[in-house]
Amino acid sequence: MSERIDDAALVERFSYIRIDHDTKHLYRGWLEERLLINRCDDCARFHHPPKPICPSCWSSSLTPTQVSGRGVIHLTILLHQGPPAPDVDYAKGPHPVVSIELEEQEALRFTSTVIDCPLEDVRIGLPVELAWIDRFGAPFPVFRPRETS
Amino acid sequence: MARNPIRDQVAIVGIGSTGFSRDAGGRSSKALACEASIRAIRDAGFEASDIDGIVGAAEPGGPSPNQMSAALGLPQVTHFASPSPVAVFALVDAINAIFSGACDTLLLYFAYQRLPWNSRSAAGDPFRRHFSMGVTPLPESPDPAAAYAAWASRYIHEYDAPREDFGRVALNSRAGAARNPLAAMQAPLSMDDYLQARMIREPLCMLDMDVPVDGADAFVLTTTERARKLTPNPVVIHAASVGLVGTNDEDQLPSLRRHGQHVVVESLRAKSDLWIQDVDVFFPYDGFTIITLGWIENFGWCKPGGAGRFLEEHWDDKAGCAMIEGRVPINPHGGSLSEGATRGSGHLREAVVQLRGDAGERQVANASSALIGCGGFFFNSQGAILRRL
Ligand SMILES: [Zn+2]
Repeated sequence: MSERIDDAALVERFSYIRIDHDTKHLYRGWLEERLLINRCDDCARFHHPPKPICPSCWSSSLTPTQVSGRGVIHLTILLHQGPPAPDVDYAKGPHPVVSIELEEQEALRFTSTVIDCPLEDVRIGLPVELAWIDRFGAPFPVFRPRETS
Repeated sequence: MARNPIRDQVAIVGIGSTGFSRDAGGRSSKALACEASIRAIRDAGFEASDIDGIVGAAEPGGPSPNQMSAALGLPQVTHFASPSPVAVFALVDAINAIFSGACDTLLLYFAYQRLPWNSRSAAGDPFRRHFSMGVTPLPESPDPAAAYAAWASRYIHEYDAPREDFGRVALNSRAGAARNPLAAMQAPLSMDDYLQARMIREPLCMLDMDVPVDGADAFVLTTTERARKLTPNPVVIHAASVGLVGTNDEDQLPSLRRHGQHVVVESLRAKSDLWIQDVDVFFPYDGFTIITLGWIENFGWCKPGGAGRFLEEHWDDKAGCAMIEGRVPINPHGGSLSEGATRGSGHLREAVVQLRGDAGERQVANASSALIGCGGFFFNSQGAILRRL
């Protein structure tokens, strides 16, 4: 794991998120534009959001592991109003929120937004891939439609 | 049959409510909780010195049990607790405290107030400005409120459900509220009104979400043995349960067919002598319409994905609401959608009112048992069966 930025600086950098010792690796990964999902060293199961132990076998030997970022939309919301963010303008139209089922494991999901996608195409089953945008001066993981062969 | 020694051993002997409104004016949440509590204690025929337990749940800024005890001047309390604010958490704590002997007669209160982040008028109230959510969530935060919209999208996808399925839940609640003087939202509602309502978290619109209110409910509970000295046919808690699955993070639920509601249903069914064919009135929580559809299906009234059709088939056009088998109403008080966002205390109160035969024009003839499915899918699923002895 990168420890290039200390805990205090990490909290400062993501002042808009509550970070703790269980989730700090996830956000350190964001700074390097890597999506790191906790994986158990003993049973190889992934889990998210990050927990201090593996919920499948109680091992505390976990490795935040870079995932491919590929998946399909499992849940969708179009927020017509909601919390503010610098890259979100509800006046211009609803903001999509999507939960992506990651290809690494069934029912392993990551929730964010989808970019470069007309609203009418934001639908369950759409293949997507990871992308990064800037939010409050730090990388933020999002998804965009993925070409499938 | 699962172990359930508490079955029928604790009774609800007093109820009190302030009624609910979009703005209770210059009254604090504590003032509303006190009004409801005094009504409930007097309704039971008790006074302050009879109460030796107090359990309550309130919104941020609302009164804690010790503050309520101080305000009401309760001389001595041997059990107090403040469970998470969805009604059956507090109900379960209350009945366990009485059954175990931690206390004998308990005041259970719920206080609600509109907050700056869910009500524009509350945001303008200088006395509410200091209530804070802390860190503002991201638009993409899968917090419970947004997550119901997300799982509603899944429901529509998996079952090809039309918006009218959700709309019937809203219409049913509004029809009940029109017959309930305590309710905040009584204006008639049509399916066209529903379909044209403003989208908030699409696929859910404004009318799919409960209405923030000011108000309070309170209950007095005691042993069934003591209750029988007050009335020959007390209303008792026959069974109650909360339910949780392991992967209960909002966006990680296994599926619409495996979450907290399923655990509640299995637990209640194993603990109860009564089931859906026996109950006279049904209270599926309606903080969001998708939750109600879930309860109807998960209790087994119909198959998964069939709740909208079920409501349509059991619709009473004259009454403007559902009436299962022409006999069992659903949330006849108007639910959280139209009575007000009581996190289930309204459902619990109406169950008691119906079982006491005091529901006036809403009264179900000879109602003797009620089924409550409270809370949602993630970490507040819960249920109870009440009956009149
Ligand atoms: Zn493991």
